[in-house]
Amino acid sequence: MDPIVTCRGLSKTFGKGELAVHALRDVDLDIMPGDIATLAGPSGSGKTTLLNMIGALDEPTSGEVSVGGQPLSGISRSGLSDLRLSKIGFVFQSYNLIPVLSARENIEFVLQLQGVSGSERHDRAMEAIKEVGLAGMEDRRPGKMSGGQQQRVAVARALVSRPTIVLADEPTANLDSKNALELVDLMRNLNREHGTTFLIGTHDVRVMEHSMRHIEMVDGRIDNDARSSA
Amino acid sequence: MIDGLNTMLPLAWRNLWRNPRRTGITLIVVAIGVWSILFFNAFMIAWAKSSKETTLQLLLGSGQIHAEGYMDDPSIEKLMDPPDLDLTSALDLPAVADWTTRVVVPGVVQSEYKTLPATIVGVDPTAEARISSIPGKIAEGRYLNSSDDDSAVLGLHMVERLKTGLGRRVILMSQNTAGAMSEQSFDVVGIYDADKATEDLYVFTGRAASQAFLGLEGEIAQIVFVLQEEMALEDTIAAMADAAPDLDVRSWRDLNLFLASMDSYMRVFIHVWLGIVFALMAIGIINTQLMAVFERTQEFGLLRALGMKPRRVLLMVTIENALLIGVGVLLGMAMAAVTIWSVSDGIDFSAFARAMEMVQTGEIIYLDYEPDAFILFPGLIWLLGILVALWPARRASNCRPVDAMRRET
Repeated sequence: MDPIVTCRGLSKTFGKGELAVHALRDVDLDIMPGDIATLAGPSGSGKTTLLNMIGALDEPTSGEVSVGGQPLSGISRSGLSDLRLSKIGFVFQSYNLIPVLSARENIEFVLQLQGVSGSERHDRAMEAIKEVGLAGMEDRRPGKMSGGQQQRVAVARALVSRPTIVLADEPTANLDSKNALELVDLMRNLNREHGTTFLIGTHDVRVMEHSMRHIEMVDGRIDNDARSSA
Repeated sequence: MIDGLNTMLPLAWRNLWRNPRRTGITLIVVAIGVWSILFFNAFMIAWAKSSKETTLQLLLGSGQIHAEGYMDDPSIEKLMDPPDLDLTSALDLPAVADWTTRVVVPGVVQSEYKTLPATIVGVDPTAEARISSIPGKIAEGRYLNSSDDDSAVLGLHMVERLKTGLGRRVILMSQNTAGAMSEQSFDVVGIYDADKATEDLYVFTGRAASQAFLGLEGEIAQIVFVLQEEMALEDTIAAMADAAPDLDVRSWRDLNLFLASMDSYMRVFIHVWLGIVFALMAIGIINTQLMAVFERTQEFGLLRALGMKPRRVLLMVTIENALLIGVGVLLGMAMAAVTIWSVSDGIDFSAFARAMEMVQTGEIIYLDYEPDAFILFPGLIWLLGILVALWPARRASNCRPVDAMRRET
């Protein structure tokens, strides 16, 4: 089976000369389909930078990233937008929902960008809402939802476009224990039922315990990459 | 595309109301700008129209015909014969509402107390009443009865300066055809109330009476005509010049350069005002929209991260701006329409009568809706507003998702 994400010799340096910060140093990584992998490490170890590179949100200083077999280098800004839209789902630490849209509209928004027709958009969004356990709350705006509920909407938004991989950066950082565990269970179930691939940057031990692959980063390098039976 | 707009329009509308205060301020700025342009435009046009009509109706008419050289030296040597058949045909064209002839010579008017310079005007009162507003401005006494009426009608201010009055006699003096001075006593039968400059200058008597007084044999100084429509001015002047090639045919534009300038530059004034108002509005729009974009940088980063293309972000922000400015423009149009409607009975400037006299404007200015202006100016402001708001919109669309999302707001 081919990996869905491949990083080869990936380096990222911010700044120049004496002020240069080497956020990533020669990282090689393969993410296989169906993986639920955590990216752990202390602050500044390069987790978010690596997620940004894989998510086509930032360009590496050197090295290459491929998503779904497609190298990202040389793709135009517009092409990268298309790639993110079709192949990558994002879940962010601070939920990042559009405040003036309801839960359903937030989820539908991605489908609308993909050009999915109105009725299909609606059906798929409702299905995603049900899947993340928010049935009945589809018309609520983010301001009227708890942090855990908002993060579930964010997960539903990331999944509704049926991406190749979901990248989650500290998804439980703003959640209490109960909501954090529920979110971890949700991602785990989605992985089991649909084979959705997750790459999760986290400090949270509870998330790590539920992952099947644990990647440890230190000083911009992969220090350890181990699979577990979780 | 339509589906995209269906999604973006409600989103843009909701985004506008995320910061009601800022949206409100922008709406007010645009609405006041549009209101001021439409109201100023209506007022300036009404004022110019009033000023023009007042001046043309006083004595000027739409145009005048004189003997060659009379305009440079309006003396008794520069008079002309009454219109011949060709010229009468031109004067009877359908475009001409009415015309009359006058004797106009420089002279002096003398009372028991004072002698003042004056312009003696001999008129045919019946025709004059159709051409000039003076016969309708009699404050005391009466206007002239006929062309043979050898009475005098003086201006109110001149009467005060001469210390004379109704029923008293004044002596008019002017050079006659023989080169000698003619003088004759005239009864003051009427006093007219016009602007001070006119009151101080013109003394009216019957045309035939003035011809007899000056020893003329039917000669006249000027033919005055008024047109049905201003649009026919150039063609009518050309027709009259063809009919009387030896005479000096001039339109009111050549006879009163100040008034002609006012008429020509009125649009320029309005466009300058439009420019000033728009510049102020543009500063306000750019400022508030830049603030709005700055505050939502993280969100634009998110949209880009989710896969929204830069041009779509640009479109979304532009739709927001188009809605915002559009609502402001509609508000301004409504305010202007209500304002103009509320003064449809005219704005009374009689408290400033003397000042209005100086600019030769009626005391009541009647404002009117100008449909073209109600479409053109708001449309222009809307389009220009969208154009200047493209700058903040481009800023939003060009953000790098990773930088934008990292930003604390």
